[in-house]
Amino acid sequence: MSKCNNRFSLQALVAAVSATVALGVVALPSLSHADETCNSPFTPLIKGQEDLVYVWTLGVEGIGDGSDKLVTVDVRPGSKTFGKVIASLSTGDRGEAHHMGFTDDRRYMWAGALDSNKIFIFDIHSTPAKPKLVKTITDFAEKTGFVGPHTFYALPGRMLIQALSNTKDHGGRTGLVVYNNDGELINTIDMPTGTFKGVYADGYGYDLGINPQQNVLLTSSFTGWNNYMMDMGKLVKDPEAMKHFGKTMAIWDAKTLKPKKVFEVPGAPLEIRWSLKEGDNWAVTAAALTGKLWVVKQDSSKEWQAYDVGTIQTESPVPLPVDISLSADGKGLWANTFLDGVTQYWDFSDPMKPKMIYKKKIASQVNMVSQSFDGKRVYFTTSLLGNWDKKGKGDDQLLKMYNWDGKKLAEVFSIDFYKEKLGRAHHMKFQAINLKELQPLQARLDGASTQGKLALTDLLSK
Amino acid sequence: MSYQSANIVIRALPPPSRGGGVFKSLLSLLFPLSLACASLPSHAAAVPVKDPNASGELIFDYETHPPGTYTLQKIQHAASGQVLDTEGRVRALADSFGSGKVTLLSFIYSSCADPNGCPYAYTVFHLIKSRMEREQPQLTGKTRLVSLSFDPERDTPEVLKLYAGADANAAKGMQWDFLTTASLRELIPILDAYRQDVYFDLDPKTGQPLGTMSHVLKVFLIDRAGDVREIYTASYLNPDVVYNDILTLLLEDGAALK
Repeated sequence: MSKCNNRFSLQALVAAVSATVALGVVALPSLSHADETCNSPFTPLIKGQEDLVYVWTLGVEGIGDGSDKLVTVDVRPGSKTFGKVIASLSTGDRGEAHHMGFTDDRRYMWAGALDSNKIFIFDIHSTPAKPKLVKTITDFAEKTGFVGPHTFYALPGRMLIQALSNTKDHGGRTGLVVYNNDGELINTIDMPTGTFKGVYADGYGYDLGINPQQNVLLTSSFTGWNNYMMDMGKLVKDPEAMKHFGKTMAIWDAKTLKPKKVFEVPGAPLEIRWSLKEGDNWAVTAAALTGKLWVVKQDSSKEWQAYDVGTIQTESPVPLPVDISLSADGKGLWANTFLDGVTQYWDFSDPMKPKMIYKKKIASQVNMVSQSFDGKRVYFTTSLLGNWDKKGKGDDQLLKMYNWDGKKLAEVFSIDFYKEKLGRAHHMKFQAINLKELQPLQARLDGASTQGKLALTDLLSK
Repeated sequence: MSYQSANIVIRALPPPSRGGGVFKSLLSLLFPLSLACASLPSHAAAVPVKDPNASGELIFDYETHPPGTYTLQKIQHAASGQVLDTEGRVRALADSFGSGKVTLLSFIYSSCADPNGCPYAYTVFHLIKSRMEREQPQLTGKTRLVSLSFDPERDTPEVLKLYAGADANAAKGMQWDFLTTASLRELIPILDAYRQDVYFDLDPKTGQPLGTMSHVLKVFLIDRAGDVREIYTASYLNPDVVYNDILTLLLEDGAALK
């Protein structure tokens, strides 16, 4: 464990990626966050059995209609259609579908496309098993100056979006955007740049997460449109392009959305997961290009710091951790390493000294991991980005579900998204068919029955 | 939509130059005590004592910002609808916004027994009111509290009048409107506009209503033009922040703080 310092070097990064290429593996990590435990603290949660898994799916030319689509999978135990695709809603557009996020009431889900910059708003409460597209925001880039709407994170009455790039040079400098729940633009905020309190701020963005008890927002950094839309084989051979990956995280005042401090976290720190355990005030991330796990927490003087707490290792020379998923009790972390298609489980009982205790190969490639709130069910998908996924035989495009008993993963079902003529399986979100089962994060409801409820609207209809 | 008690603890850091921290001692003392003591109006007595099995406490462990040092964005226009006041008069909800006043609006029901729900909102409103009257008495005429019931069947104007006690129609100090609706037909469009989900709790054995309701407490801060400028949810309703936000909106309009 060491406190954040400037140990990262471009040379090391290039060497690592070059080694990957030399081995004939041409992919870099990307972006993902799924997971019932990573939703905004302002969004009600499914603390029991999820009924549906939505998969935001990249359209592929020649596969089905070739368009990005929202795929709905039934995961209700005992259902006749358990483990089957029960709905597929095409957007009629192929724009690099990527991530999704719920509104604060979980009635709607926003889904972004990193190339077209379109944002699709789906109604997921009227008929959750058959979502409806109710609005498409088409002027995101024009109105904000940013490109690549990536993370969608609910604030009360609003949606906070982390972008990846900008319209001027399509590089990594970017910002935050706030819309209201009706899809009207409220505000844009640049990521910190230049020297920020003695630390170089690269202005890049990737993921974000809020700790409301501390009134802080944490952000991470990745790369711009120039890189994430470039063919991977070309990218890794372009030393200039490889310089442009994020090296920072930033902690912000969540109320004012003003940055407070920038940390040097080299190697493209990606997913951010705050521990939901009561009393915990730390977050974890994995740096894609170094394989480092970083914990952000306060030191003894209540100053926020970033700590290098461990290194993800694989048989591949470059581990390339992509998605991570932290259990609701903060004691276990799933970490996917894309190149070898393996998921690792880390014991995070002591977040400053985590240990890898289990691993399993999921597919030829694996990107995203999403666990139920109780941690008993774990879902995986395989796509990174349209131009970064493996080519040919290694291009598995799957949704796989496993049961986790604390010791091993047991496969329950697998859906081949190519055979189903859907596309590339990317981001996952859960939904309940009966929204009355949703529970606030802070409601202390564990074990309480939530079945017996009647909505006021139901009463009126009767 | 919360079921168990939670002890509210405000671990505020030393307050900034103005506005912060006063609620720390007040709320951490008042809220647990309010469950049993008679210092609050009669409806508070209906709140059960803290559930011994409750595991949580709500913690706000940060320093608040002084009023006027930050901007609250306009989120949406505050929706209106037809409501009744405690005298049974038909009014437009929007009549309670604007008119030169900054408004704090919450949805409540008078028989709510969830300490993390309506009683907590009530406690926060009471703290805001008393603090405004104590620290910024010259501005109390520019602020208003609105509690709108989502239980029109039981919360008739007469019941709400009893619930409000001395807080309704107070001759001086900060205005506090207690409103209800004639029926669900008037209420539900309002709840929809504010995206306030409300459920009747049912007996799992009989399927009959238990008389309690579940909801995620939301509080809306509305400016003098009738725009929602902040939304607070139950778990993150920090009265110090609410107070400073109110003053921030008043400062926008040129108010002079003491």
